[in-house]
Amino acid sequence: MKRIQDVSEEEIKDLYYPTMCKVTKARQITSMEKWYELEMPASQDLGHGPGQFVEVSAFGIGEAPISISSSPSQKGSFELCIRQVGTLTNVLKNYGEGDSIGIRGPFGTGYPMESLLGKDILIIAGGIGLVPLRSLIHYVLDKREEFGRLIILYGAKNPSELLFKEELSDWEARDDVELHLTVDQADDTWTGNTGVITTLIPELDLNLNMTIAAITGPPIMYKFVIMSLKSKQLQDDHIYVSLERRMKCGVGKCGHCQINGVYCCQDGPVFNYSDIKPLREAL
Amino acid sequence: MKPKVAFFDFTSCEGCQLNKLNLENDLLDILKHVDIVEFREAMDDRADLYDVAFIEGSISTPACVERIHDIRRRAKILVAIGSCAVNGGVNAMKNLHPIDEVRETVYGDDKYLFATLPAMAISSVVKVDYVVRGCPMTQQDFLRLLISLVLGKQPPKYRTPVCVECKLRESECLYNRGMVCLGPITRGGCDAICPSFGQFCTGCRGLMDNPNLEGMSEIMTNHGISLEEAQKRMLLYNSNEVKL
Amino acid sequence: MECYSLLRTDVPDLIDHLGAYGEIVAPHSKGDVSYSFEVVQDSNKVVLDYDRTLLPLKKMFLPPQEKLMDFSLKSLSYTPIKLHIKPRVFFAIHSYEMQSILRLDHSMLSGQAESNYLRRRKKSRFIGISFKPDEFHFSESVGIPIEEMEGFDLYLNEVDGDYQLYVLTKNGHSLIEGFEKIKTAEPEIAEDRKFNKKIRFHYNRLPQVFQYAYHSEIWAEVASRCVGCGSCTLTCPTCFCFDVKDEVTVTAESGMRQRSWDSCMLSTFAEIAGGENFREKTINRTRHRLYRKFKYITDEEGLPWCVGCGRCTAFCPAEISLPDILNDLINEDEKAQHHHQVMA
Repeated sequence: MKRIQDVSEEEIKDLYYPTMCKVTKARQITSMEKWYELEMPASQDLGHGPGQFVEVSAFGIGEAPISISSSPSQKGSFELCIRQVGTLTNVLKNYGEGDSIGIRGPFGTGYPMESLLGKDILIIAGGIGLVPLRSLIHYVLDKREEFGRLIILYGAKNPSELLFKEELSDWEARDDVELHLTVDQADDTWTGNTGVITTLIPELDLNLNMTIAAITGPPIMYKFVIMSLKSKQLQDDHIYVSLERRMKCGVGKCGHCQINGVYCCQDGPVFNYSDIKPLREAL
Repeated sequence: MKPKVAFFDFTSCEGCQLNKLNLENDLLDILKHVDIVEFREAMDDRADLYDVAFIEGSISTPACVERIHDIRRRAKILVAIGSCAVNGGVNAMKNLHPIDEVRETVYGDDKYLFATLPAMAISSVVKVDYVVRGCPMTQQDFLRLLISLVLGKQPPKYRTPVCVECKLRESECLYNRGMVCLGPITRGGCDAICPSFGQFCTGCRGLMDNPNLEGMSEIMTNHGISLEEAQKRMLLYNSNEVKL
Repeated sequence: MECYSLLRTDVPDLIDHLGAYGEIVAPHSKGDVSYSFEVVQDSNKVVLDYDRTLLPLKKMFLPPQEKLMDFSLKSLSYTPIKLHIKPRVFFAIHSYEMQSILRLDHSMLSGQAESNYLRRRKKSRFIGISFKPDEFHFSESVGIPIEEMEGFDLYLNEVDGDYQLYVLTKNGHSLIEGFEKIKTAEPEIAEDRKFNKKIRFHYNRLPQVFQYAYHSEIWAEVASRCVGCGSCTLTCPTCFCFDVKDEVTVTAESGMRQRSWDSCMLSTFAEIAGGENFREKTINRTRHRLYRKFKYITDEEGLPWCVGCGRCTAFCPAEISLPDILNDLINEDEKAQHHHQVMA
């Protein structure tokens, strides 16, 4: 039990005040998503790790948890990619270059990068799930020789919803990245795979001891992807999932993101699958 | 250019509109944001197109149906204000009786001169973009909606019950005083004004999403009123919503 | 531990004496049949015999509504709120209430400490008082007897209508320094106080019961009666969940960010922007609430996160009783155990 005597008034800081960050670039990248590059005051670094998130704040509207989509190896700025689905995010679409956005964080537990060194990284992203995973992908690309294979499976509803299309072609062109794309519904322009993301998994040739899977996507996706990975004999503790909950305060106080006994904003959003497997409300 | 705003009334007591005129302290601030172009209770001007049309009252005659379609065609955003407009309100109690019986009771021998329909929410006839609930709607609530529209954000939807605000005010629970109150299943946003002043909640802001009506009936009958009385209480403002 | 006798009629003088330390907060009558903790204006208005207040003492440390900042929409900047907290004495506090504050300390100070909570909590003095359990109190069953004195600086134990004053800490000692209406006394035990409501198992067996209770049909039965008003959690002294909202003034130029208590029993609580709701049904929420009280935190801290104040039951319009749910789960568990033995 933490006791009042254990905490001195001097050592604590206020938790709910945002830092105002300047938007240095912004671009609507699909009909639903806008991408932003932001700069901390005095060009400080945000100091995040791949998989962490920030609370984005607009006065008069409120706050929302948003994954950081750039790698910590990118200095002087960081990036967010925001889907317009809620009150705040619909207002943020009007923000552009030169505007200020309030940021708190970074918060949460991201990927344990130390223990991923030397491993084959298998990225499995569904829809907007690519956004937090992009941070991990860029990190691996920036330190390419420190990791094994980089396999990226990415699925979207249809070709127009694919995010970061230019980067996708860059990754496609690299011979140290294995990129597999799929869409649920193809259109006339689409020549690639059609089908849900799990259809990409059976064909993979994985080195089981070396492979770490990182999965992010809509809630419905996890069970099926994990099932497919299990049928490839990948062990539970080689699988990481990033979960979405209503992370309102980001600091383990407001209670909204509880998953059974854990806080998604503290213990997650990135969890090792073996840790959350026993939690009935996680997946 | 400031958005053009208009107010229209249908079957109602016009109390909600009056409530806006009572916004004396804030009226000038409001006029900084919008131009009021039509407001029968306060002015004569008319316009053809509206950015926001505020509608009070329920639809209860064929003429109402025609008029609301006409307004909808000319309005970019349509907002239903007050419980009559939002879900039919007290007017909808007439829907519990056969329509001919209602006509007979109200108009007697002249009943054939007056066409009537069941009292309907505006949203059962045309698309409604936003609502301001309550009987009457509160000024606070109206201002919140207006400011939200000015800021381009979603107005609050009030999806928690009256009990929440009552507890936050630390008002004495009317159930502990031996009264029955509809607070548990009624949409909040009113700052629990009635129960906080000792008056039980009558449900004027409409029911919560997926209310547990059986549970609510059981609560009320356990607190000493008959099932019939309990159901009447729930129907008062929500005849169009409560299916017993 | 020193013990003094104090006449009931001298309690207002004691309260006035404590005023030298700071603001005094004590139970007062509220409405027809209720009580609430209020700042003392007149020591004669303090109520010594009360069952429970509407809102728990938590409201003094984590207010139901609290402004976090003022902001300007013109300059896109904000002004933090500076708290000026006076030293405060919390007077005539029941043991379960004190225990709830100690649990809140853990919840609010673990991980990143809550600054406003801590600022309000420091410089606080607590003076306990005994109480007669009514039909809803069951704190003894969660390990908190009436005379549990942990956390208090002073404690008033009623014996035959008057009080025995226990001095428990150095701070308590300095609070009563110079107060002359007390006499040294031998501690006595009051015999006339008993709990009417009990949980059938010792609280340390409850996590085991909950281990297998997740799929119990009892949750559906509770959910059928629950109307989802949130009163249980909003009056709970160990609950601490909150929501944050921005309010803009009618000029649309400025506003404030404010937090207010929220409740996991409300249908909107676990809903995210995309519309997904992680505890959509009442049954998910009634179950989550009790698991928070008797399983999840208890597994880690060894204590139930319920102090037996009885508020959730007393203020539930549907009269859903938390100890009754526990006893039903225990009965069900016992039946299941018995069944296993027969099979074996």
